[in-house]
Amino acid sequence: MLSATNSRQEHILVCLSSAPSNARIILTAARMAAAFQGHLTALYVETPDSSAMTEEDRNRLSANTRLAKKLGANVETIQGDNVPYQIAEFARLWGATKIVLGRSAAGKQRFFRKTTLVDRLIAIAPNIDIHIIPDSTSNHKYHQRKTKNKLPAFSVREAAKCALILLAASMINMVFYSLGLTDASIIMVYILGVLVTAIVTDHQIYSIISSVLSVILFNFIFTKPRFSLHAFDAGYPITFAVMFLAAYITGSLAIRLKNNAHQSAQAAYRTRILFDTNQLLNRAESHNEIISILAGQLIKLLNRDIVIYPIESGSLCEAMPFPADEHNTESIVLTDKDRTIAEWVAQNNRCAGATTDMFSDSSSLYLAICINRRVYGVVGITMNGGKLDSFESSVLLSMLSEGALALENEKNAREKEAASLLAKNEQLRANLLRAISHDLRTPLTSISGNASILLSEGSSFDESTRHQLYTNIHNESIWLINLVENLLYVTRIEDGRMNLNPSVELIDEIIDEALGHINRRGRECTIVVKKEKDYTLVRADARLIVQVLINLIDNALKYTPQNSDIHISVRERNKLVHVSVQDNGPGIPDSEKEKIFEMFYTGVSHTADSNKSLGLGLSLCRSIINAHGGTITVVDNKPTGSIFEFTLPSEEVSIHE
Amino acid sequence: MNKPLILVIEDDKAVRTLITTTLKAHDYRFVEAISGEAAILAATSYNPDILLLDLGLPDMDGVEIISRVRTWSNMPIIVISARCEDADKICALDAGADDYLTKPFSVDELLARLRVTQRRLAIMNTDTSGSEFVNGNLRIDYAAGCAYLGGEEMHLTPIEYKLLCLLSQNAGKVLTHTFITQKIWGNAWENNIASLRVFMATLRKRLESAPDSPQYIQTHVGVGYRMMKL
Repeated sequence: MLSATNSRQEHILVCLSSAPSNARIILTAARMAAAFQGHLTALYVETPDSSAMTEEDRNRLSANTRLAKKLGANVETIQGDNVPYQIAEFARLWGATKIVLGRSAAGKQRFFRKTTLVDRLIAIAPNIDIHIIPDSTSNHKYHQRKTKNKLPAFSVREAAKCALILLAASMINMVFYSLGLTDASIIMVYILGVLVTAIVTDHQIYSIISSVLSVILFNFIFTKPRFSLHAFDAGYPITFAVMFLAAYITGSLAIRLKNNAHQSAQAAYRTRILFDTNQLLNRAESHNEIISILAGQLIKLLNRDIVIYPIESGSLCEAMPFPADEHNTESIVLTDKDRTIAEWVAQNNRCAGATTDMFSDSSSLYLAICINRRVYGVVGITMNGGKLDSFESSVLLSMLSEGALALENEKNAREKEAASLLAKNEQLRANLLRAISHDLRTPLTSISGNASILLSEGSSFDESTRHQLYTNIHNESIWLINLVENLLYVTRIEDGRMNLNPSVELIDEIIDEALGHINRRGRECTIVVKKEKDYTLVRADARLIVQVLINLIDNALKYTPQNSDIHISVRERNKLVHVSVQDNGPGIPDSEKEKIFEMFYTGVSHTADSNKSLGLGLSLCRSIINAHGGTITVVDNKPTGSIFEFTLPSEEVSIHE
Repeated sequence: MNKPLILVIEDDKAVRTLITTTLKAHDYRFVEAISGEAAILAATSYNPDILLLDLGLPDMDGVEIISRVRTWSNMPIIVISARCEDADKICALDAGADDYLTKPFSVDELLARLRVTQRRLAIMNTDTSGSEFVNGNLRIDYAAGCAYLGGEEMHLTPIEYKLLCLLSQNAGKVLTHTFITQKIWGNAWENNIASLRVFMATLRKRLESAPDSPQYIQTHVGVGYRMMKL
């Protein structure tokens, strides 16, 4: 609670109870929250005893709850037997920095002091500040549940164990007695017997009974007069008392040891299962995966049927049933009522169903998968196998929080990704618009200017001048047409990916079609097509590949001098068809080779047409080829020029005669 | 032969003017319609020889106009569509259109298409049920099941011959890949479309192997094939 939380806002947790003094505690907590400018959470731990509350208590509790709400607190209700543990767990999960308790809850000093709520809270959550509000008027005591000390049902098995151990101890002592060993050894054996009883039986009562019986047996068998409950020696009553105390304390210590071992085993199990859940959830990639991992871990913990209602964009989705027994998928029957309860849980962020006050006639318990008051789903747990014990419910709550956290992270990641994609697309569009509006001006100026001159003063020009103006208009409009073609294909790129309609095509047909669309612009050049074999089939979207070839050949024409040679060659290697376009122009410097495929990159070299390039053509080529699963590269031609080569998946065909 | 009467269906004034000016300059007779309804009316009342149909009309789907005209007439229909809309073109061709022009088109292209269609009209008007087909150096004797090129018999596989017959019977009309595979194999499976590419390539090679041989079969990438009437 030092440096780690100093920078954070204070989060004050106040515990609600039905005590009359609770209102004062809530007020104090609210004042603290205001002073620290932190938030306030009021927590009510619903124990199984709560149902036995008197009407008066119940009214007070709801009055206290209302008060907490009025003071701006988030009111939360959790369930469990082990109140300090639940409070500590809640405080840990919700990041509470201070806990405010009343003195009544803290418990009064008594001679045989029991561990109080505060002591236990401090033990469980050592790094949270605990503020105790003194309260002398309290008549309300915090009761720890007494289940541990209640008499268990009489068990023949346990009793038999006791009897057997006592019998064995007595037999050994008979042998010792006949060997002439002293009382001290005999007493030690009985105490050992009680110790063993305490270890093997499941309740303290057996070791107490054993202690008493050991004393009686010692008195009856081994003290003079033998086989009577009388004892001649005046020292014996002291001996009996000491022996009983020694046996009782030994037994109690053994039991506490056993309980501690049990608790630490549970704690280890809890740590492990939460760690596992955390690991698995971290590895999950999708929303549904998180849900099924959560369900799987819950089944592992509880071995009960689980139903999860995910919440997507504010509404409850279709239920996802996860039966504990995978082969018995019929075991989960969902009705409209289950859904109604789940909806109520989602809205109120409280548990409902079996073992709670709400919808207690349902066979399942419904809990919200929530974090920071945002509900990401509702989980339903079948309660046919009896209610959950406190250990199970505390791990369950931690697990649900882990699940909610994972769902929240996943949702945030998804939103972030969508936002960044949107931003990227917006960026692309903005660049495109900027480039277009800038670069379209040149040809449009030329077209409208030439046309307006022809309209107003056309008759005053001689034939050849007019022809030149017409040619300019025509050439510029052809350039615009080509640009628009490319733009139309760019619009087919959605979310960074291109939609294809691939089919089996002959590469020859594609090349012929592309050559038919080449705008030679009066340039003289030779275009040679070289093929390794007659029919090379590729899987491709023909229109798009035609556009790729048009762009590559157009570039070759544009950036090479008159009368140059352009070679187009096709070869097939390893299920890939390589198509290359090579020219013998000036080539491309190494520093530019990667950049030329970037959108809106227009190079630095000056060519005849350098003012007219949007830098769209090659980037479009790369998008198209990548969408086909191929690659496009540029290397130097020997002795001069460049070779653009792209690959396409080849296709085999079985001829149907 | 009389210049045919052409019904120009186009809602955009500038494009319509371009087409009609071109037609006027080349002594074609024409009628204009600016909507689907007007087009159907004009088609019934004038009974034109050729329809020039823009697919993007405001009031009616171009494909619907084609199907309605096809219920009572075989008049050649040339559709005009924007590029990048292969699917629309194929739809129109499958619905019964004969040819297509892609916007933006040049005047030369328009005139070339009209000439091709006029030749198709000539075939349609002569006896098409005959047992012989002659196109340039190519002669097909349907009754004997033989094809001759420059007087020499061609050695064709059964599929190639079937393809040649199909193309010749629809000379001047663009046949879509789907249409051809349906006719030859009875279905349009992916594998058959791939086979079609190969057979068409081998057939073309046989027809056009001679260096001075004219182009008999036109490839329309992404759309289909057409036999040109020479």
